[in-house]
Amino acid sequence: MSTTIQAPTPAPGGTTPRPGAGPVHRNRLIASSRPWLLLAPALAVLAVLLLWPLVRVFLFSLQDYGLRQIVSGEPNWIGLANYGEILADPTLWGVVLPNTVGFAVLAVTFTVALGTGVAVLMASLGGFWRTVVGSAIMIAWAMPAVTGTYVWVWIFDADRGIFNQTLQALGLQDEPVNWFTNRYSFYAIVLLNVVHHGFPFVAITILAGLLGVPKEMLEAAEMDGAGPWRRFFQVIVPNLRQVFSVVIILSTIWDFKVFAQVYLMPGGNGTNREALNLGVWSYVESFGQNRYGFGSAIAVLLTVLLLIITVIYVRTMLKEDEL
Amino acid sequence: MKKRLLPVAVLATAVFGLSACAGGSNGDENGSNAEGQTLDVWIMEGTNPDSEAFFDEVGAAFTEETGAELNVEFVQWADAHDRFVTSIAGGTTPDVAETGTTWTAEFADSGALEPIGDFVADENLGDDLVEGLVEAGTYDDELYGMPWYAGVRSLVYRSDIFEELGLSAPTSWDEIVAAGEAIKAAHPEMLAFAVPGDAEFGVYPWVWGAGGEVSEKNGDTWESGMASPESQEGIGFYTGLATEHGFSSAGATTWKETDVLDNFAQGNVAMALMGSWTPSAIIEKNAELEGKFAATPIPGKDGGIAPSVLGGSHLSMFSTAENTDLAWEFIKMMTTGEFAEQWGEQSGYFPGQQSLLTETMGSDDPLVAPFATQLVDGGGTVPVTPSFGAVQAKKTTNTAIQAILSGQKTVEQATSDAAEEMDEIMNGN
Repeated sequence: MSTTIQAPTPAPGGTTPRPGAGPVHRNRLIASSRPWLLLAPALAVLAVLLLWPLVRVFLFSLQDYGLRQIVSGEPNWIGLANYGEILADPTLWGVVLPNTVGFAVLAVTFTVALGTGVAVLMASLGGFWRTVVGSAIMIAWAMPAVTGTYVWVWIFDADRGIFNQTLQALGLQDEPVNWFTNRYSFYAIVLLNVVHHGFPFVAITILAGLLGVPKEMLEAAEMDGAGPWRRFFQVIVPNLRQVFSVVIILSTIWDFKVFAQVYLMPGGNGTNREALNLGVWSYVESFGQNRYGFGSAIAVLLTVLLLIITVIYVRTMLKEDEL
Repeated sequence: MKKRLLPVAVLATAVFGLSACAGGSNGDENGSNAEGQTLDVWIMEGTNPDSEAFFDEVGAAFTEETGAELNVEFVQWADAHDRFVTSIAGGTTPDVAETGTTWTAEFADSGALEPIGDFVADENLGDDLVEGLVEAGTYDDELYGMPWYAGVRSLVYRSDIFEELGLSAPTSWDEIVAAGEAIKAAHPEMLAFAVPGDAEFGVYPWVWGAGGEVSEKNGDTWESGMASPESQEGIGFYTGLATEHGFSSAGATTWKETDVLDNFAQGNVAMALMGSWTPSAIIEKNAELEGKFAATPIPGKDGGIAPSVLGGSHLSMFSTAENTDLAWEFIKMMTTGEFAEQWGEQSGYFPGQQSLLTETMGSDDPLVAPFATQLVDGGGTVPVTPSFGAVQAKKTTNTAIQAILSGQKTVEQATSDAAEEMDEIMNGN
């Protein structure tokens, strides 16, 4: 019926439609389904590897699932009770969330700021020194989180750590202080550790973006009288918006999920209740106590929270682009 | 050995599988003719420095005795619990495995273990097992864990420094303080008495030594005794060694037991509660300390011995074991007689068989006899219920001690918070 109207429109792919309805329809069907056909294997793999575990985790979160259920294989549905318990827990609101969110905000800010600074430095260096600085920061990046954490723990050790010894030698402190027992000094050390471990990735990624900024633009801005700060914030940063968004989203996700760097610190394994973050708390409350359903519920909430942050962030970035 | 045995094990399993299909039960009840069968066993790594050689010998003796092959797999303590849980979930548990004393009740509760009380009764072994280990291996009035080896924590002190200052091993709390003051005055660079903030087994002896309880079952509910006046006195004394007398250090507030061991080995600590398995590790780390330290049972408040937690391992039979008689043969071979004695000698732990333990007590080694005395006269167990594992995972006791040491809470506050949390977890919310 509408074939006569549709016929003049060139089909995707540029093939000229031949007269007759049949072939046109078939062509369009193939054309519109071709991307999906090509994507199918990848989607199938993703569904098996990502979607199914997610669904399972969600199903576990609706059960009281412990060792006994694992052995018997019997489900034990309790509805949303796990979620109710999590959200009603004063530790979550008083300690865990403030620690996690506050730490993530600071860690992302410092990581991105330091990473950008190093990237700018490297962009202005010659080939030899760029290699030297690049290798140096790569070592920080390559250090396993566990090793790095122990190094920081040694530095801040109360009795024999170099930090306390320096303070005492300078006369700033009479008695050794255990920096791990106080919530804020504890997280200051975690922050040092995480930023030190996280900034190389940011630096390398942003360096790649920096090198892609057209030289002419910078020269033109300089001709127009823009100083280095203006050139950076008004020419380079807008050009690197996508790079920054990727780096910030990834850092946020990583810094939200910090576990080893907290768990391995003295008192960080749950002994110091003021230092609990979301990762350690969920581990102590669920896996330590064989409450896998409860742990799944925390995992689901964390996923949802990170999704919301990412969506909000991506949307604001896109909106800015449209303006 | 693992590698050499694997093909054999695969073959043997296949053969056994086929013969089981074809013949069904051969009616061979005592497991003494298990030709062609393989017994899969998991043993924790590191307890005995020379486990491979030991199990080569056990394997040969086992094959001679029963005709079956022994397939031992060594598992790291650190990831053992996870491996047990995943293999329980997948139904791939071994026939017999070493289980830490605090895990046995948990696995039994999940239905993964086979009760072994009848086997023990058949052999008339019941009266010859170390009581603390039997208690820890019993769940719902059934024995699930066969006592294998045990260790216990006692008071370890630097005998050279005690000698130098003319002190003798403390036998009461007052004497601990007196010794501590003397050491602090003469050796201000040392910790007179280490009070680690992240080591719960260092806490209970003081609770018990003052007449308190950790948690007791009253009818159907558990009632924590951590906030009783006795427990508060014990915990107050222990933490007071650090907060009032200054015997410990700021760093020790966040120490674990391994930190105590490291610092003792470095010569920074004069007194501490340490396990019967640590002396060899101390000497290995610092040979200079050989002969310069000794142990003594933990004193109660006014003398006597304060009970201390028995640590150690059971051998447990899993319900996936196809030939329970064969599995029992292995358990018996390992936990009684010659091999049990050898294992104890090589690993520095005490055997779980009372008659063997009594022999050990005759030793005059200053690093063996006091521990043996502690084990026999002052061995205690934490509440035997899977829910106490949850209390440990939540670090309830450690949290209380650390909060007192760091000044976040008073003894009264910290202990009543701990008691409340224990009750909440153990009575299942």
